Amino acid sequence: MRELIGNKWLVVLFRLIVGITFLYASLDKIAHPDQFARIVYNYKILPGFFINIFAITLPWIELFCGLFLILGLLVESSSLLISLLLISFIIALSLNFLRGVDIACGCFTTDPNAKKEGAQLLIRDFVLLLMSLQILFFNRDFLSLQKIFQKK
Amino acid sequence: MSLKKDPSRIFLQAILIVFFSLIIGVVYNSISKEGITVKGNWSKKVVSDSLIVPYSYTKDDPPAISLGQAMTYFQTHSTIFLDARLEPDYKAGHIPKALNLPFEEFEQYYSKVEPFLSKDKNIITYCDGTECESSLFLARLLKTKGFNNLKIFFGGWTEWNKAGLPVQKSN
Repeated sequence: MRELIGNKWLVVLFRLIVGITFLYASLDKIAHPDQFARIVYNYKILPGFFINIFAITLPWIELFCGLFLILGLLVESSSLLISLLLISFIIALSLNFLRGVDIACGCFTTDPNAKKEGAQLLIRDFVLLLMSLQILFFNRDFLSLQKIFQKK
Repeated sequence: MSLKKDPSRIFLQAILIVFFSLIIGVVYNSISKEGITVKGNWSKKVVSDSLIVPYSYTKDDPPAISLGQAMTYFQTHSTIFLDARLEPDYKAGHIPKALNLPFEEFEQYYSKVEPFLSKDKNIITYCDGTECESSLFLARLLKTKGFNNLKIFFGGWTEWNKAGLPVQKSN
């Protein structure tokens, strides 16, 4: 079982899935920082002064970590960061999910379709988190640039 | 399950990635056409002594009114209150005689509400309170439909209810 979970090919597959997902997710946020900042604001979790700097920095963390996972560089630190990000996304989504139901002031949508989407987002983030943790603990630098650099 | 590499080194590298991203982000943001201010002002705007409005409110939007002004308008016959919240919230309690026109389901409700609206009357939109923006978005939408005597009561249901003013429930 342990060998199956820690399989080096599985690590590579997960690196590609998580890496491409984060790389893709970062692009639109980098292109539209104003819209992303607005979304961060709507979560009503971060204090006002922190929102823009967060919206400016986060997409680049996603971009670099995604890229590093694909290339196989700094794999552990990238998957650590991605895991931490995913944990905070899960917390933020759940908080909003709960508050959206509670407040129902017309600012958070309460329509049932949106709720379903919220649950789907949570499941997706949770699956990505499991993959990211697998990378963090089982990476052996198989098929990665890191290995090439170390040989030199 | 164990880390093959030194955890402190992994942490240090992670911090460096964050730091590097911060620098690249700020630099890219400063040269990008789409760039935003690094220190955002997301606090609520205060437009006069007692009026707090959402951040997205601009001076081109219909005027914001206070609870006191809303009470005064409430006494006049030429005023229509529009509740921009969703129907379950509206039914649970709303400003008396207010009509329900949820911003999020505008198309669905507008045909029902339209016959009661008049361009000569004052139309006051409200939602839950200053935390919500549907009153503002509803007012903007009505402005595009040609209504001019629009006002927004940002204090909304929260302020109205807290002040112990008359309320109405629908079943």
